[in-house]
Amino acid sequence: MSAATPEAAATQTAETGTAPAHRESLWAKAIYKFTRDRMGMIGLGIVVVYFIVALGVWLGLWATEWGDVEGPKWAPMSAEYPFGTNIIGQDIFQRALYSTKTAFEVGLVVAVLSTIIGALLGALAGFFSGTWIDEIILWLKGVLDSIPFYLFVAAVAFALTGNPYAMHIAMVSTFWTTTGRLVRGEVIKLKNFEFVEAARAIGVPQLVIIYRHILPNTFHILLVQATIVFVAAIKSEVILSFLGLGVQDGVSWGLMIAESTQEVLAGFFNNFVWASVFLFGLVMAFNMFSDALQDALDPKKVAA
Amino acid sequence: MEVLQYAIRKLVGGIPLILGVTFISFLLMVYFGPDKTYELLGKNPTAEQIAEVRHELGYDRPFLTRYAEYLKEMATLDFGASDSTGEPVSKILARTVPISLALITPGFILGNVLGIILALIAAYHRSGYIDKFIMGFAVVGMSISFLIVVIAFQIIFSSSYGLNAFPVRGWNVHSFADYISYITVPTLATVFVALGYNTRFYRAVLVEEMTRDHVRTAKAFGTRPGKLLYKNILKNSLIPIITRIMFSIPLVVVSGSLIIESYFGIPGIGKVTYDAITTGDQPILKAVVGLTAVLFVITLLVTDILYRVVDPRVSLK
Repeated sequence: MSAATPEAAATQTAETGTAPAHRESLWAKAIYKFTRDRMGMIGLGIVVVYFIVALGVWLGLWATEWGDVEGPKWAPMSAEYPFGTNIIGQDIFQRALYSTKTAFEVGLVVAVLSTIIGALLGALAGFFSGTWIDEIILWLKGVLDSIPFYLFVAAVAFALTGNPYAMHIAMVSTFWTTTGRLVRGEVIKLKNFEFVEAARAIGVPQLVIIYRHILPNTFHILLVQATIVFVAAIKSEVILSFLGLGVQDGVSWGLMIAESTQEVLAGFFNNFVWASVFLFGLVMAFNMFSDALQDALDPKKVAA
Repeated sequence: MEVLQYAIRKLVGGIPLILGVTFISFLLMVYFGPDKTYELLGKNPTAEQIAEVRHELGYDRPFLTRYAEYLKEMATLDFGASDSTGEPVSKILARTVPISLALITPGFILGNVLGIILALIAAYHRSGYIDKFIMGFAVVGMSISFLIVVIAFQIIFSSSYGLNAFPVRGWNVHSFADYISYITVPTLATVFVALGYNTRFYRAVLVEEMTRDHVRTAKAFGTRPGKLLYKNILKNSLIPIITRIMFSIPLVVVSGSLIIESYFGIPGIGKVTYDAITTGDQPILKAVVGLTAVLFVITLLVTDILYRVVDPRVSLK
């Protein structure tokens, strides 16, 4: 990192004596703190396991028969069908595994894109705070935050009928606002620091100052926000799939739960239970990871 | 007088927001929304019939003209009749909004009140076992999807596989006892999910206030725990608490009840709006979108005035 970050300085003064003296940078300290957080490490471990499962599905190593209609209807749990089968005889185990890939796809696409948009627009608004650029971006944020989320997604889905990414687009266009607001606040603080003044004094263009010198110093906010958005995206996908606006091709935990609403009435809970367990495991692990990340990266956060 | 002046200024200042919300929603829901022409026509329509229906629905006019007409409708509060049923939109709203409010209000209040109480307990026993237990429960609540909770609670409370004590779905309310039996399961589900987020948020706010010097001083003077929590901590952290509660109101009124309403088959405003989006019922959409935007601006205004009420140092400028 180019300049000494204010966060690093703050952490140093706040924690003198708790961390070894040679760990100077924000990131070294954060990693040190994170690896000491037991819940965070467990969460990260579980997320990594899920990620390997998703990667394997993507590479075609397992869960390749998730769509096959071969088994008997509503088979109980057995060696052949570890989690049983659903109403049309599909293997629930394979479908639950395949859905891991869908979840990571939705989560990563939405988290990465909305973090990028939030960072770019938030940095612009913060750097030009008080001018018309800031006003317009704030107005846009206010407008997007005022439209009820599920209705907005429904409207986007119908406006882009048939587009499998309608759900992603709707989520990205509403989820960036929180990131944008946080980055804006941080940039307003950072732009008065000496390293910005120094860059300006030697004639660095404004956009380069914003994106090369200021924005990298908000990376810790972006990382935490990205994990929060990831979880929000996976959870929204479930509800949208239930409403018929979610994943269009393939299968997801949300689609499995939506299917299962018919089955639970007949007393067959396998689809519902296993989709819920997989979903809960990933979301819970990601929440634990995200919490630990916040604790490690945000020196201002009051320790628990 | 000062408050009134402030209110008027704030409402005028809210006009760009109302315009923005209505413009984007109008663009998405009405302009790019489903085309109803062929639903209203019989088989083998002639070109004139098509043109006539399109004219009736307003599809043949330019976008900005339609938007301007919409703004006029909103200013006069005259949204016409629903395309699907022919019922006046005002009547539909008068019938469905009270149902949604009756359905969602108990859960909303309980979720926030219990959240604050649990947060106070957790913050008071900070880092202790009680705190860890409550916060662990909160993370679990945050991690379970709302849909899973709704389905699971329905199985547990309303189906023959569980207690079978409450109606599975529908809304057939004639007495207070009916009302209680229909809202119990949805309310339990709402509270369960809301508690996770609320407790975490309120605990963070309260813990921050607890580390202030004035709390330490009060403790040193021997203030009783109850008084300390209520007077020194809760009252001083009211501003973020009010902000959170107020800002969730518009979203809860319109879309918060959508999942519950569609899963439990309750004819509230969320369900009606969702159906209107999927079928392209424009008059209903226009009314709901416009009123939501207005509700948002009013919420912003009321929030600011409440700040003034709880903290006289806040100036309304």
